[in-house]
Parts: sequence; structure tokens; C-alpha cells
Amino acid sequence: MKNGAEFYKANRERLYAYLLRMTGDLQLAADLVQESFVRYLDRYGDQKSNRALLYTIARNAALDIMRRHKADAGVEMDDHADPGTSPEQTVIDRQALTRMLMAVQQLAPMERELIALVVSADLSYREIARMLNISEANVKVKVHRARVRLREILASEAV
Amino acid sequence: MAYLSSMFIDNELDLDEKVQFVDKIHLEQPFYQETRELLLQERLLRMPVDTRRLLPERLPLRERPRPWLKRLIQPVAYAAAGFAAAGLLLLMLVRPTPPAPAASRFVIYEPAAHQVELAGSFTDWRRMPLQPVGNSGYWELHLRLPAGEYRFAYILDGTRQVADPTLPGRERDDFGGENSILNVEGQV
Repeated sequence: MKNGAEFYKANRERLYAYLLRMTGDLQLAADLVQESFVRYLDRYGDQKSNRALLYTIARNAALDIMRRHKADAGVEMDDHADPGTSPEQTVIDRQALTRMLMAVQQLAPMERELIALVVSADLSYREIARMLNISEANVKVKVHRARVRLREILASEAV
Repeated sequence: MAYLSSMFIDNELDLDEKVQFVDKIHLEQPFYQETRELLLQERLLRMPVDTRRLLPERLPLRERPRPWLKRLIQPVAYAAAGFAAAGLLLLMLVRPTPPAPAASRFVIYEPAAHQVELAGSFTDWRRMPLQPVGNSGYWELHLRLPAGEYRFAYILDGTRQVADPTLPGRERDDFGGENSILNVEGQV
């Protein structure tokens, strides 16, 4: 990594995607992205690039916030869909994303963490296992269970 | 091996597992159906969000040394480091010295807190106050600690215990709280 600015630029979108799925809150996820990078660079400087460490810091920050604000803030979508799409498509995308984020929030904490990591962080099962202190075999099984559980939640809401 | 479909989605299959996966898809209709549904679900799950209005282009970092200042300081710093290294080498040849306590800076971002304290194994779990850094929301405390492994936590507003969010190592204490694990390496 050449410097902190490049590290930020290269990882902010993915980290945001991860934190959005962890918290289900657009603005909170954005705040946590900045906070995580500041903490990372403050403690580890800008000479070392360690994405797993960045996600660990982001995860701890998110868990701390979520523990403190147990009350469900719900999923609020502003007009943050891709500006290149038509208004109709934007509405459809926004509804689909809201529905998905709400379903993710209904997963058990470990399932939500795993889903957030595999779909956003671009970390291997091995890296995720190390980060969560569980075995790689466990990650395989739990990730799949989380996906199946998510499908059940979405199906039950569609009825 | 139902999880093969998730491994397929996450690009985690090795060659042997790819063979198993293709065979299973070919032979088992329910497995094919589930894999297809999970793939469609994944498309939704990975739907991108436009973050241009949510995330700044640049990270609002606190003041860092400017390049010209760095250039100015660097030669002097190198020379000083050289002299210091030579001096240290001389000292080490004369007699070995135990590692000196290392300077540790404890920082936490808690803009809503009115009081932040720290308690750890290095203070015999007595509370020490952190000082606010201006109006930035950060609180800090500088301590010199001998090399070793320590446990500590922050206490917010006298009641709430939180672990250090920047340290990956944590463990539960006997009272249901969580402490950070800090490893301090001695300064030779």
C-alpha cells in the first residue's frame, strides 16, 4: 500500500457493503466506514495493508454500536440507487434492497456476520475462519445454512 | 455436501469438488433447484448501492506530516537514528540492559461520552481518566508499560465497559464484560 488514501479508495466500497449488511442502516454504515479507516490508520499507520485487520476493526466497531443501540432503527432507504437507471427501476431496486437488508437483519448474529463477509468483503473462507475464530469447515457449513435460512425468510415474507 | 452450492457461489471449490458439484447438479434435481435459487438470491444480496453521497472521496484524516516537512525532517531523522543506533550498539556491547517500558497511547472515539476511563491489569484494575482531544470526540491517555501481555477496557460515563475497538484480541471477563488483550513489546 502506498498510503492511507489509496487503501481507503480501494476498500471503502466493499467495507461499506459489509457494514450495510451488518447494520441494515445506510447512514450508520457510512459513518462506520470512516470510523474504521480512521481507527485502522491511527493505530497501524498507512504503511501496512491488511484487509482482514480492517474488517476486524469494522466488525468490532459495528458490534459495539449495535450492542449500544439495541433498538431497531429499521432500514431506511434514501434515493441512493444507481443514478444511471430509470426512476421505475430505481424504485424496484430500492424496494428489493430494502427487503433483502431487512431479511438479513432477521438472521442469527453469526449467520448475519458470515453473509455480510462472504458477499462483501472478498475474503476467503480461510480468512473468515481466522477472523471469527472458527474452523474453515464450520464456515462452509454455516455460510450455506445462512443462505438457506435467508431464502426461507424471504419466501415467508413473500407469502 | 449441500454446502457445495455455497462454495460454488463463493468460488471456494477445488478441482475435485468441482467434479462433485457438476455430478450432483446433473443427477439431483432438488440440488439444481436450490443452487439456482441461491444464485438468484445472491444477485439481490450483492446488489450495489451508490455510495457517492454517503462516502467522501477522501478520508477526513487528522493532521499528518506534510510531504515538504517530511522531506525536511527526514535527513535529520536518519542522521539522528544513525547516531542513536551507534550509541545503542555501544551500550549493548558494554552490558545488556533490560527492555525499557514502551510508550503506549490509548485512544477511543466516543463523542457522546462525558467521561472516559481506562482500567486494566497494568493499573491493578484501578480506573485512570482519559483526556478529551479538543472537540474531536477522541479521548486519549499516554502510559509507559513494561513489555508483556495485558488486559484492559474503557469505562464510559462511569458505568459502561467497552473493549478497544482497534484491537482484535478480546476475552470475556468474569462479570459478563469484555476486555481487550494488549501485547506490549519492550523498547530496547
